[in-house]
Amino acid sequence: MSDVAVNRAEEIVFSALKFQSSAERAAFWDRSCSGDAALRAAVEKIWAEYADGECFLNECQPALSPGAEAVRLLADSTDFTDDISAEFDSDKIVGSNIGPYKLLQKIGEGGCGTVYMAEQEQPVRRRVALKVIKLGMDTKNVIARFEAERQALALMDHPNIARVVEAGATETGRPYFVMELVRGIKVTTYCDEHRLNVRQRLELFIQLCGAIQHAHQKGIVHRDIKPSNILVTMLDGVPVPKVIDFGIAKATGGERLTDNTLFTAYEQFVGTPAYMSPEQAQMSGMDVDTRSDIYSLGVLLYELLTGKTPFDQSELLQSGLDEMRRTLLEREPHRPSTRLDALRADELTQTTLHRRVETLKLKPLLKGDLDWIVMMALEKDRSRRYQTANGFAMDIQRYLNNEPVFARPPSRLYRFQKLVRRNQTTFAAIAAVSVTLIAGFGTSTWLFFREREARQETERARRNEVQLRTEADARAKIAQAALLISRNQLAEADQLVDKIQIPVTEPSLEAAGVFHTLGNWNVTQGRWQVAADRFMQLEQADQVDKSDLTAVGTRDLLGAGPALIVAGDLKRYRQFVQVTLHRFADTSDPVAAEEVMKNSLILPADTMTLQELEPLVKLLQSSGAQNDPAAEKNDYRIPWQTLALSLYEYRCGNFTNAIIWGQKCLAYSIPTPPRVVMAHIVLAMAYSKLNQPENARLELAAGREPIENKLPDGPEKIVDLGRASTGIWHDWVIAYFLLHEAEKLVKYSSFS
Amino acid sequence: MSDITLVLEAVSQGDGHAADELLQLVYGELRRLAAARMAQESAGHTLQPTALVHEAWLRLIDDGSRTWRNRGHFFAAAAEAMRRILIDNARRKSRLKHGGGQQRLNIDDVEPAATTPDEKLLMLNDALEQMEKENPEYARIVMLKYFTGLTNHEVAETLGISESTVERHWFNAKRWLVKKVRASA
Repeated sequence: MSDVAVNRAEEIVFSALKFQSSAERAAFWDRSCSGDAALRAAVEKIWAEYADGECFLNECQPALSPGAEAVRLLADSTDFTDDISAEFDSDKIVGSNIGPYKLLQKIGEGGCGTVYMAEQEQPVRRRVALKVIKLGMDTKNVIARFEAERQALALMDHPNIARVVEAGATETGRPYFVMELVRGIKVTTYCDEHRLNVRQRLELFIQLCGAIQHAHQKGIVHRDIKPSNILVTMLDGVPVPKVIDFGIAKATGGERLTDNTLFTAYEQFVGTPAYMSPEQAQMSGMDVDTRSDIYSLGVLLYELLTGKTPFDQSELLQSGLDEMRRTLLEREPHRPSTRLDALRADELTQTTLHRRVETLKLKPLLKGDLDWIVMMALEKDRSRRYQTANGFAMDIQRYLNNEPVFARPPSRLYRFQKLVRRNQTTFAAIAAVSVTLIAGFGTSTWLFFREREARQETERARRNEVQLRTEADARAKIAQAALLISRNQLAEADQLVDKIQIPVTEPSLEAAGVFHTLGNWNVTQGRWQVAADRFMQLEQADQVDKSDLTAVGTRDLLGAGPALIVAGDLKRYRQFVQVTLHRFADTSDPVAAEEVMKNSLILPADTMTLQELEPLVKLLQSSGAQNDPAAEKNDYRIPWQTLALSLYEYRCGNFTNAIIWGQKCLAYSIPTPPRVVMAHIVLAMAYSKLNQPENARLELAAGREPIENKLPDGPEKIVDLGRASTGIWHDWVIAYFLLHEAEKLVKYSSFS
Repeated sequence: MSDITLVLEAVSQGDGHAADELLQLVYGELRRLAAARMAQESAGHTLQPTALVHEAWLRLIDDGSRTWRNRGHFFAAAAEAMRRILIDNARRKSRLKHGGGQQRLNIDDVEPAATTPDEKLLMLNDALEQMEKENPEYARIVMLKYFTGLTNHEVAETLGISESTVERHWFNAKRWLVKKVRASA
C-alpha cells in the first residue's frame, strides 16, 4: 500500500475520532472509503493500532490514577535525582568518606554546593573544609582547570587567604574541593554584629585588599568575591578576615565563561549578580582580569558602608537576565551617600545603629571622598578603576589619614558620554536596521569583513597575552610607587616608574596621580629632563577618557611644556605642542582652550601652529566672558583668557590687538601674580614693536621685579611649587621665558 | 521572588545546565505543594496532579505576564518531575516484586499480558525515551498530556502550536508508542 493511501487512511481514522459510537464510526469509514477495500482494510489496521495505544496508555494509568495517588507519591518522594545528588542533600553522607577525607559535619550550603567539615588522616591528621559542587558540572573539566591553576594557587601564602589544596571527584562523579578550614562568619554579618564603625570597617577592608593584592601578584584572580567568601575569624581577640574559595570560580566557571552560549556562568550568576563586574556580566569570555576583583571589592565596600549593594540582588534577579546584564553594564549606581536616601526609615536606623553613628551623620560621613573612592572601584570601564587592590587600599588609607585621595568626581562631559552610552541600545537598534539593509546588497563583502575580523581577533589574542602581562607588571609598579609616595619615599617611587615605557602604561587615574606627583617632585629636585619624562608619561596615563576635552584633561599637561623647555629639549617641546593641539582642537571648554594656547605660545610660534590655534581663539572670543569685568568674580580663570588672547595676537604680529587684550587683562581686580606679570611683559613687547620704547620700558620694569623675586636663581631652581593664588611654578617659568624674550627685544630696539 | 524567572530565561536561551536547575526548582515546589495539600485535604479527596502543576506555576511565577513565553519550559519541567516520580515508584515496586536487586527491569523477560501497570509504565517510559530521540515533538506532547494532564488546548498554548496539531500528533504518538512497546516486548 502506498504512502498516499496510508496517509489517506490515517486521515479517515483521525477524522472519525470524534464519533463516540462504533456504529457511527463504521458508517463514516464506509462512506469515506467508498468501496475501496484496501483502503478500508488500512483504516481498520490504523484504528487497531490507535485503540491498542489508547488501551495501553490506560492500562499504565493505574500507576498514575487516581490523581491523589500521584500527589501522595509526590508528597512522600525523596529527591528523584537521587543517583546524582540526593546523597548530598541529606545528612546521610556525614560519617562516610570522600577520598581520604572523612566527612564530619555539614557546615554550609550555597548556590553551587555543599560544604562539609572533614578530617584528613593521611599524611597528617587535620581538619579541612570540603566543598562538593552541585550537579550539572563537567567534572573532568572542572578538575582539569583546577589542576591548571594549582601551581599558582600553591604559591599563595597569606594570613588572610584560606588555601584550596585539592580538587577531586566523588564516586558519583561530582567535583569537590578541599580547602583550609575556616571557622568564621560572613564579613558583613561580623561587622554588623560587632557594630564596627566606619573606620573599623575600612581598616578591615584594607586588610582584605592586601590579601587580594597578594593573590593578584601570584597571577590569581578570585572572580567571585562576595561576603560569603570572606569569613572573619578571631585570632587572639583580633578579627582576621579570610578569603576563601580562591581558584574555585575559575575552575567551575572557566569553560562557561568562554563558551559562546549567551547564558553561561550560571551558578555564579544566580548566586551573586550583585557582585559581578560588568565585564563578567558581559561574558565576552577570557577577558576577565584582576580589575574584575577590584569591582567586586568595590561592591563589598559599598555594602559595608551602606548595608546595601549598589544594585539590589533580588531586583536584579527579578528583572530577568537581559535586563540584569543591561543594569550591570550600563546603569550607574547611586553614590553610597545617596543610596542611604533610598533606605526605609527602619533600614536606615538599623544601618546607622550597626555602624555606631547617629542616623543623620552617616550620610555626611560618606559624602565626598568615600563616595568617590567607592565609585572609582565601581567604574564600568575597568581602566578608570583602581588598577590594583593596593591602590584601592591606599586611597582608603589616605582618606583615613585625612590626606587628599586619588579618586575624584567625573567631569561633566564624561557624565554626558555615559548618558549616551546608557542609551546605546537605541543606537544599536538603529545600527542593526542599517546592517540588515546593507546586508542585502553586500553579504559577501560582509562575510569577507567578518572573516578578516576573526583573523585579527586571533592575532590580537596572541599579542594580548604578552601585552597583558606587561601591563599587569606596569600596573603593579604604579601601585607600588603610589604606596612609596604615600610614605614620602619619592626617590624610590621615581626609580620604580622610570622603567615603565610610555605605551605600556594604560591610561589610569591612579597612574596619572603617580606621574603628576613625581613630575613635580623632580621639578623641585632640579632634575628637569626626568621631570619632563614624568610629565610625558602623565600625558599618556591621563588619557583615560580620550574624548574628555575639558580642563580636567589639560590641567595635567601644564607642567610638560615648561619642563621640556627648561630641560632644553625644544624638539620634544614642539612635538608635545602638536600633540596637545590635535587632541584639544575640538574642545568647547574655554579654560582648556586657554591652557592649550598658553602652552603652545611660550616661545615664538610658526605660522602653522598659529593657524591651528585659530579655532581655540575663536572659542575664547565668542565666549565673551572676558568682556565682562564682573566675570572674574565667578571664575578666577577668566582673566587668564585675556592673557592668552593678548599673547596670541602678539605672536601673530597684531600688536595693537595684543595691547588691547593686555590692558583688559590688567583691568581685573584679582592680581594673580604670574598672570599680571605676563600681561606686563607681553605689553612691553607689543609697545616695543610699535616703537613706543618708553611704554615698553615701563611695562617691562613692572613685570621684571616679581619674577626676579620669585626665581632669583633662574627657572632651573624651583623651591616652591606654588598655589593657584600665588602662581604655580609652571606659570612662573613661562613668565621667566617671556621676560627673557622681552629683555632682548626691548634692549635691541632701544639701541636701534 | 525566587530564582525561577532567571532559570526559565536561561533555559530558553538553551542552557542545558539551567534545565537541571529548573527541574529541581519545579520539583521542589511540586513536592512542597503536594505535602501541604495532603495535609489539608480530607482522605479520599482526589487531588489531580494537573491542579498541582497549575498551582505551582502560579505560585512560582508571581509576575506571570513577563515570563509567559517561558511557560512551555516550566510545564515541561513539571511533566518531567512527575514522570520521574512515577517511574521511580514503578521501578521500586516492580523491583520488590522481582526480588529486588535488579537495577532495571528487563523487558524481554516480561510478557506484556502478565505485566502489572507499574511494569507497563516502565515499558512506556522506555518507549518514550526512544521517542524523545526520534520524534521529540511527539514526546513533548505525550509528556504534557500524560504526566501533567494538560488539555489539548493547554498543550497547544504552552507549546505555541495549534490545537489541531496537538490532536493529530497525539493520535500518531499513541500508535507510535504502542508499536514500540509491542516490538520490544
